[in-house]
Amino acid sequence: MGKLNPQNLSRGDKIRIGLLILVLILPFFPFISDYMLHIIILIFLYMILALGLNIVPGFNGLLDLGYVGFYGIGAYTSGLLTFHFGLSYWVIIPLAFMNGAIWGILLGAPTLRLTGDYFAIVTFGFSELVVLFLTNEIWLTRGPLGLPGIAPPSIDLSLFGGPKWEFVGELPYYYLAIVMVLITVFVMHRIQDSRLGRAWFAIRDDETAAVSCGINLLNYKVIAFAISAAFGAVGGSFFARWVTFLSPDMFKFWESFLVLCMIVLGGMGNIWGVMIGAVVLVSLSEVLRELLPLLGLPVNVRFLAFGLIMVLMMRFRPAGLMPIPAVAAKMKAGQVKRKRGPATAELKTGLKK
Amino acid sequence: MTPILDIKNLSKNFGGLKALQDISFRIDPGEIIGLIGPNGAGKTTLFNCVAGVEKPTQGQIIFSHKNSSISVGGKKPEKITSFGIARTFQNIRLFDNLTVLDNVKIGRHCRFKSTFFGAVARTRGQQVEEKAITESSQQYLEFVGLKGRGEEIASSMPYGDQRRLEIARALATEPQLLMLDEPAAGMNPMESRDLMVLIQRIREKGVTILLIEHDMKVVMGVCDRVVVINHGEWLTEGKPKDVQNDPKVIEAYLGSGAANAA
Repeated sequence: MGKLNPQNLSRGDKIRIGLLILVLILPFFPFISDYMLHIIILIFLYMILALGLNIVPGFNGLLDLGYVGFYGIGAYTSGLLTFHFGLSYWVIIPLAFMNGAIWGILLGAPTLRLTGDYFAIVTFGFSELVVLFLTNEIWLTRGPLGLPGIAPPSIDLSLFGGPKWEFVGELPYYYLAIVMVLITVFVMHRIQDSRLGRAWFAIRDDETAAVSCGINLLNYKVIAFAISAAFGAVGGSFFARWVTFLSPDMFKFWESFLVLCMIVLGGMGNIWGVMIGAVVLVSLSEVLRELLPLLGLPVNVRFLAFGLIMVLMMRFRPAGLMPIPAVAAKMKAGQVKRKRGPATAELKTGLKK
Repeated sequence: MTPILDIKNLSKNFGGLKALQDISFRIDPGEIIGLIGPNGAGKTTLFNCVAGVEKPTQGQIIFSHKNSSISVGGKKPEKITSFGIARTFQNIRLFDNLTVLDNVKIGRHCRFKSTFFGAVARTRGQQVEEKAITESSQQYLEFVGLKGRGEEIASSMPYGDQRRLEIARALATEPQLLMLDEPAAGMNPMESRDLMVLIQRIREKGVTILLIEHDMKVVMGVCDRVVVINHGEWLTEGKPKDVQNDPKVIEAYLGSGAANAA
């Protein structure tokens, strides 16, 4: 295990390990309130969602506007299985993962032949369909009344003669969320450096060339969509057992947009960038929620602020806060070209005259 | 000897436009065939039909390798690549944002099979496979003369090197037949001389080559045989020298007056 030798660690690894230790001991700092823990858990949850969504636009270059549909499916899978059958959360996680993947395949297989905007519209339609289903199929979901009283997760060791812990307060959820984020990051990392990941990057860069290398576009896009959906559903399953109440209007289009913004803001295709996007947007949302009423503005003005941030990002850092190196290089080259473009050329010829 | 590629009465229409009409020719294993013709003659359309990007309207394309014959006409392009036909593109199509090495690794894609679960669990089989992919990709880079440049970003390389990289990527799919679409376009005389050497070396590896090229020096220098098409129709074929002096070919390129003058 030479890898764990501190001398062999790169600067980036040191920062990551430092951050992880900080995050692990964070709840014990005196200034951390339950409310703050709640927000941090929310950040973790959105990290899982953003990492999951990132596969589709970040790795494959397909615009997905309906991610919240899979989040909703996962949440209701978790909620209903708990409500009706009292299943343990540890059993529900793989079930939610599979259910998300199944719906990803069902939606993706027929529609991923579409390109660009057309595909985006279909995904958008799907997420609206999910909300309508959750609202109207009252026999299953109780409709707009929502699904209250979902039992929190617990660690039950009574089978082995051990004790049974129920999740009380934010702290257990906090550590559960950290574990889930770590697993998600781990999986994404492994995929990124694999044959599967390379096939996705090939599709993102040039579909025609990817095909000529023997990559079956539809198969790989469906795999991407399914895995992305599965992580969305896992995020949803956590959400259900954490807030212990579900209603259809929690899964409106706005959520898809927010997660997409995190990816664009952080740097599409970059695992760390996407996580930073989640940190920035969730905390900003909370800060604005507190700040705006003080300024006498309605809380929903924060949506305007998000829009403004996106416009500014497009102008100044189009590749995101932490772009993947190649994209960063390209954007930089583009900017240099623009700066030395016609304007300066004219200036030079003008000077010569 | 069975030809490696046998094109029989191939036609391709785009609506009313007859891009290819009743074209037939054969390529023997180990040959370097030049496909020439004036602009708009249908050379790239023919390539696309063989590569599976376009579906032929009529006719057959038979690819034979190791005693088995496959009709590739109308098959999916990724299937055709796995049969053993690789191609490069007229305007270079690399994976611009990826490294040089990754570009070649993606070329190796169709010869391996690890998936999501292998990638996440990093099983023994997957590790062995990944190592094999990297090592063989390095070899292909070395073969085309890009050794030690695997970490560069593909789009940042000079034009001639990008062409070489595209050829390396095509070779990485382990083709029996390699189709090069204007590989010398935009190259200076030095670069195209190097390219000719490279093409010869690829043939020495046992790969048959079909080449579209406008640079007559390259065509004359490397091709064993030349097929000329004009207005989507087969015009003539033969040894480069004979074709070069064929009045029909001169007429096709320069018009009927020129043929008389010659």
